[in-house]
Amino acid sequence: MNTNNLVQEIKEKVRLLIAESYKDFKPGLEKDLKTFLETSAEKLERWTILYASEGINEEELEWLLKSQVDLISLQALQTAGISKIKLNALKNNILKLIFEIIISLVVKRS
Amino acid sequence: MKHLKLIAFLIALSFITISCDSTRTALFDPYSYQKTTEIKVEAIKIMDKAATPYQNHKQEVEALFLEIEKLQEYEKNKPNNEITFAMWQVLSNKEKNLLAGFFKRWESKEVLSPLFIDESKKQILSALDLLIQYEINKNKKSKEQLLELINLNS
Repeated sequence: MNTNNLVQEIKEKVRLLIAESYKDFKPGLEKDLKTFLETSAEKLERWTILYASEGINEEELEWLLKSQVDLISLQALQTAGISKIKLNALKNNILKLIFEIIISLVVKRS
Repeated sequence: MKHLKLIAFLIALSFITISCDSTRTALFDPYSYQKTTEIKVEAIKIMDKAATPYQNHKQEVEALFLEIEKLQEYEKNKPNNEITFAMWQVLSNKEKNLLAGFFKRWESKEVLSPLFIDESKKQILSALDLLIQYEINKNKKSKEQLLELINLNS
């Protein structure tokens, strides 16, 4: 599976979905998406490869994606301070979208 | 002359108090640093066994979480230490997908796959490293504050 453009493809697909289905939340979601993808690109690629090669299953992929959200929350907590962020700063919608897109990409390419 | 010395001392004391109070960050604590490092090493050791049945290692996991609980209580009661405490709350929350979440999953699945263990271990180690680095940076921050104070009074 070619993963060179994987993150770019995820980014484009999520942007399209936000524009179509989440118009009201667009600015907040796009900011969260940017943060998540910038800090997670390498891991997303690695986990997608592992999922595509059946090294990890769907449930494990979802667990890892959520762990990345929790890790980013920890980073944000220490840099932004407790009063400036909410611990669930990354909206679950984004996570769900990324997860579904990875699954569909792997199914499409395999 | 005696009064002047007393006034100078009180002014210096108030500078220190205001300076420490305004930063709202606890000072570097060698105990927190040491305990967090120990917990990290112990956690790796136990996570490496997650490809074998959880029941065989239940006692080790419980002992680890007792240590975490004690440290969390210590961090909770330290003044101006909300961020460190909040970070421990995320790590020890079974509903989150970091340290406690990993052990919850191991318990419910009984054994975990080696590739999943490797990947989740990297995530949890990064989280613990964040805590350790945060503690070290408190030291740097307090040194900078002290230098500022010395420069201010010189």
